[in-house]
Amino acid sequence: MKKQLRNPGLWLALAITAAFALWPALASNRAYARETSFTILKAVAFAASLNILLGFTGYVSFGHIVFLGLGGYVGFYLMDTFGLHLALAALAGGLSSAILAFLLGKAILRLRGAYFALATIGVNEAMRAFIKNFEPFGGPIGMTLNFGVYRAYGGPDQALWMAYIGTALLTIVVVLVSFLVKTSRFGLGLMAIRENEDAAEVMGVVAPNAKTWAYVLSAVFPGILGVLFFFKNGNIEPRDAFVLHQSIEGIVMVMLGGHGTVLGPILGAAAYQRLRGLLLVSPLFKNIQLAVAGVLLLIIILFIPAGAVGWLRTRFSRLRRVLV
Amino acid sequence: MKKFAYWIMVMALLSAFLAGCGATEAPPEATMAPETEPTAAEAEPTAAEAEQPAGEEQTMVIGFTTSQTGSYNVSSLRQVNGLMLWMNEVNDAGGITLSDGTVVKFDYKTYDDESTTERVQELYTRLSTEDNADFLISPYSSGLTAAAALIAEQYGKIMITTGAASDSTYKEGYTLVFQAYTPSSRYLTGAVDLLAHVDPSVKQLAFVYENDKFSTDVVNAANEYAESLGYEVVLFEGYDSETKDFGPFINKILESGAQAVMGGGHFQDGSTFARQVHEKDVDMNYFALLVAPPEPDFADLGDAAVGVIGPSQWEPLAAFTPESAAEAGLEWFGVLGSEFDAAYQAAYDEEPSYHSMGGYVAGQILQKAIMDADSTDPEAVKAAMEAMDMLTAYGRINFDTSPEAHGLQIGHSMVYIQWQKDDAGNLVKQVVWPLEGKTADTLYPKP
Repeated sequence: MKKQLRNPGLWLALAITAAFALWPALASNRAYARETSFTILKAVAFAASLNILLGFTGYVSFGHIVFLGLGGYVGFYLMDTFGLHLALAALAGGLSSAILAFLLGKAILRLRGAYFALATIGVNEAMRAFIKNFEPFGGPIGMTLNFGVYRAYGGPDQALWMAYIGTALLTIVVVLVSFLVKTSRFGLGLMAIRENEDAAEVMGVVAPNAKTWAYVLSAVFPGILGVLFFFKNGNIEPRDAFVLHQSIEGIVMVMLGGHGTVLGPILGAAAYQRLRGLLLVSPLFKNIQLAVAGVLLLIIILFIPAGAVGWLRTRFSRLRRVLV
Repeated sequence: MKKFAYWIMVMALLSAFLAGCGATEAPPEATMAPETEPTAAEAEPTAAEAEQPAGEEQTMVIGFTTSQTGSYNVSSLRQVNGLMLWMNEVNDAGGITLSDGTVVKFDYKTYDDESTTERVQELYTRLSTEDNADFLISPYSSGLTAAAALIAEQYGKIMITTGAASDSTYKEGYTLVFQAYTPSSRYLTGAVDLLAHVDPSVKQLAFVYENDKFSTDVVNAANEYAESLGYEVVLFEGYDSETKDFGPFINKILESGAQAVMGGGHFQDGSTFARQVHEKDVDMNYFALLVAPPEPDFADLGDAAVGVIGPSQWEPLAAFTPESAAEAGLEWFGVLGSEFDAAYQAAYDEEPSYHSMGGYVAGQILQKAIMDADSTDPEAVKAAMEAMDMLTAYGRINFDTSPEAHGLQIGHSMVYIQWQKDDAGNLVKQVVWPLEGKTADTLYPKP
């Protein structure tokens, strides 16, 4: 553990994450910086969580957003119906996603490659259909948080800051966990599975268990994130909670930064979201921002398939110790 | 590692495909650009302008997001077209002159919300803080509006909502959000009243509706209302938004023995539903659908459109005039419906839908509030809105001021249109309800 903590790569990853988190404190327009930073941190936390499954284990989940949606729903319901505090609701959201991932892991992690990827899409769609018909969660209408709930946290301003700080702390925890997984025996087992699952099992890796726990770990953080996001949003609907293309964006962010690295998803998510954010408000590109983002990504991914961090690690071997 | 290279290629193609899909949804006929685009807001913020001495021009910035991409694209752009038309008319007419001589003109700032809640709060925060918007207009749709309402309230910005019919946002304790649309809880209640009027012998109803927030909100309220009038609801069935085959639902309607059917959801599903009912030659006396029938494009269904009834927030035929305002004891404000219709068609070369009028009336509400308040101070404008009770080409505007439902629209009522054939055999929309605004008798039973 001590040796792990001495790794400069960990501190670089944490420092970059902390810089994003602290940016609103230094910005002249703190509120807008908070909103922009929230979007980036949310993306970083989601991509880094997904990377545990996608990058370390080699399993592509096209429906990972299901954990954000389910966690968001469970937490929102507890806050709306029972007046539970945001922190407890967030933990409950994370727990519910972890349980779903555990149960799913036992079933669909037996599948490999494209079959697993397709199954995850099915899970997302099935969960959306279920929630749409689940009356306690408002069915297709969803739920709206009473404005009075925000007053209990000191008003909407305080509540939005609370959601932001929660997201910032969560993102730092995800990055730390990601690093610990990568540098642990468990992480080595996952990477062995990624390279050759059969060979890994021959070498003593209990693949089904390792994959399941990787899946659980990659699901728990999006669950918490969902609660924080929808609390801030004030409203949750099936349409917004299980957006399939957000899963795909998550994969793009991981690939862009460098899958299987700790720093990659951070840089990939930040770059992707910042690019989207700038295009969205750019007078020149705001009407065609999705098309421009798509073309840029296509170019980057085609020419740097290992992602930014992967490319740097290959090109400059001395940086490998820092760029974990 | 080879499989990763494979996935990379798949992802790249998928992302490009998705981006392409999102960016090409804008229909060519719906354009947001006004003929004369004000640009003052980009030059300097308006906070300072609020303190300008009397007699000078003051530019108020209106901030809003537009769904330039995504599923709300068409309706949202039409809404913005209506707002832009109002803004140009007011600015071209020299703005609003207050009693101290200050001339108030308007400018706007808008960004693409992509029809998702993902960045709505970020963009409304930018509008409120970075762009210094003085007033806000809601995004299109209730879900996006709920997210924006929190930001409006946080920064003390008045937000006029249009295209956001769901009741729930206005019952959550907000004080600065004012609704232009008739709430969804009253969308189909008039259709039930119309049915009772045309055929009091009908007692069995079926609701077949899109399983989404808006449609479910509407039919839940209509169901409750119908039952309170003694109707027996023999079928209450939701369908998925992507439904293309309504055969199973049509069979259920036939099995239920319902004499009247209400429901639908949005344009695509509603049009498909109506077409398949016609193709299967279903014996249905009364058929009322949400959203789709008032759209001009619904006429493309041909004979399948005949007899279909739909609630509309506004129709060009609706005869709201200064005279009807005087009869109702209300103050009249703004242009006639026919004048709006002509101006809109001249500006955008398309027929206005109620979404267009929704955008236009949102501007009118703000204009009237500033005139009544004789000030641009948010507190005074808010008080003027709370006291507002006027008739416009869109209909009556009056807001609930109780703490339980502050800002909920209580003055405006839906009109109900029915597609009928004129003497020449052409499909025309007729207003059939309420009776005081009708342009033709209801075609009943539906052919």
